[in-house]
Amino acid sequence: MENLLEIKNLHARIGDKEILKGINLVIRPGEVHAIMGRNGSGKSTLSAVLAGNSNYTITEGSITYLGQDLLKMSPEERSWAGIFLGFQYPVEIPGVTNVNFMKTAVNEHRKQKGLPPLSAAEYLKMMREKMAYVEMDPSFSSRGVNVGFSGGEKKRNEIFQMAMLSPRLAILDETDSGLDVDALRIVANGVNRLKTADNAFVVITHYQRLLDYIVPDVVHVLYKGKIVKTAGKELAAEVEAHGYEEFE
Amino acid sequence: MEEFRYIPKKQLFDCSVSLDGAKKYFVWDGIPEGLPFEEADTLDCSVEFPVDTRVRKISYAPSESVKTKSTVISPKDRELVQVISVRVSPARLSTRTVVNCAPSGKYSVLLCCHTVGQERFSTNEQIEIHVQKDASLDLVVMQNENSLSRHSSDYRIRLEEGSSLSLNIVTIHAGNVSNKIHSLIAGKKAVCNLNGLYLADGQQIVDTDVVLVHNAEETVSRQLFKGILDDNSRSRFEGEVVVSPAGQKTEAYQANNNLLISDSARASSDPHLVIYADEVKCSHGSTAGSVGDEELFYMRSRGISEKEARILQQQAFAGAVLEKVSHPELRDRLSCLVEKRLRGENTLCAGCSRGCC
Repeated sequence: MENLLEIKNLHARIGDKEILKGINLVIRPGEVHAIMGRNGSGKSTLSAVLAGNSNYTITEGSITYLGQDLLKMSPEERSWAGIFLGFQYPVEIPGVTNVNFMKTAVNEHRKQKGLPPLSAAEYLKMMREKMAYVEMDPSFSSRGVNVGFSGGEKKRNEIFQMAMLSPRLAILDETDSGLDVDALRIVANGVNRLKTADNAFVVITHYQRLLDYIVPDVVHVLYKGKIVKTAGKELAAEVEAHGYEEFE
Repeated sequence: MEEFRYIPKKQLFDCSVSLDGAKKYFVWDGIPEGLPFEEADTLDCSVEFPVDTRVRKISYAPSESVKTKSTVISPKDRELVQVISVRVSPARLSTRTVVNCAPSGKYSVLLCCHTVGQERFSTNEQIEIHVQKDASLDLVVMQNENSLSRHSSDYRIRLEEGSSLSLNIVTIHAGNVSNKIHSLIAGKKAVCNLNGLYLADGQQIVDTDVVLVHNAEETVSRQLFKGILDDNSRSRFEGEVVVSPAGQKTEAYQANNNLLISDSARASSDPHLVIYADEVKCSHGSTAGSVGDEELFYMRSRGISEKEARILQQQAFAGAVLEKVSHPELRDRLSCLVEKRLRGENTLCAGCSRGCC
């Protein structure tokens, strides 16, 4: 089967600081990958680079997504092509309501596919259905995007947005941080419901906790900008038991 | 421009949508149709108070009134009055409008200012607003004029005991606009809300000067002026809130926020508070900034194109003022108009105000 994503020898820097120092990674449809690592190992940089954050400069290497050169695509083009980043720190946008935000996003996706915009009723029906995935109260739709949301609510909102856009490749950057056990379960259930044989997930985390709910096929350990170990889901338990010291 | 002279003036505006249930009047180059046009007394909104009984008196008096005939608006309780002022001939014009709100009623007035044609219109306008005891007035001023026009508005406001005013000035388009507001809160427990939104691009200039005096106990004022400035446009805001010795238990808030969307746009802002009473709650502040990159990236990562994302941000910025307009239909219409303006549609007010309000 065709690779969904292929990263080859990726080097990236922010300012003068090199953070990614030769990442190699292949993701196929239907797979769940977990990327674990300490703070500062490059996990969030990798996700930001995949989503097209222009704060980072790519100095070497390539990323191919469904046969296309991902690095040549703008953040919105990546989204249209099916890439989704669940932010570690979802951004608050005062004055833009959740409903307006997602409706604009969904309709831009539809426009790219040559589909007409959804009617208000169609959108509302779709929104209600996807909000239920993450047990989100419909009243959130009229609030400013992430404004005044608790940590858990912000993360649920990320998964809700993911459900609305049904991406081919979703990268969840520390979606578990700041979540209590109940919220973690709700978020994980949301992700599991969206899993198909056709899409793939990259779950970035410090802890095994989330991986008890979203079971990965492959676990990678990232250390100083490189993937130093790749194994099955048992690697997560190993990291949890022994920490990251053995990779140093 | 010649062609406009041959079209009956009214016809140009017959297609502009009326607000549901609104009483609609036209004012052609300062001459009203259907509204009284008479010599009216100048509203006294001057104030003088001692700050130190032995030596000093502070006085706040607006400039002398121009003795001209005035368009008199005396709205009826719970009725929306829409007054559409249209400039057709490019001569210099001084006009005076009086809005008189009788005690205890609830009033809504919409004033729209337009120009027809691309001539250099120059308008000096004096607007006097008297909100009598326990009355409340919701006044929206919509300015949509051509890029060569110069429009200077001088507002004089007097609020009596228990009254409230919500003044929202929405400057959609204009050449050179100056809004001077002199507001006297003369009676106890009166509330004065002054809001403004200005959208400027090209070489446009928008000035706002506010002097707001609290001269009675337990009064409240809230000011929110926001501007979106593109190209080489300029804005200047000067706002002074004065709490006189009689203004104990005053609450006064003032903010001026500017969004600069080009590198050459400029905003200057000078808010200040002058307080002579000791038991007050006051705050003021101003900001000038560009759009947040983080917000932009977040929206783009969801597939919202950069252009759409910027428009969403600007709409959100403007929305904080528009939401103060309490008439729902008018608010929606203004939002729609602001969106069109931000999208670069309908920017020239090209000879006609069709569909804009």
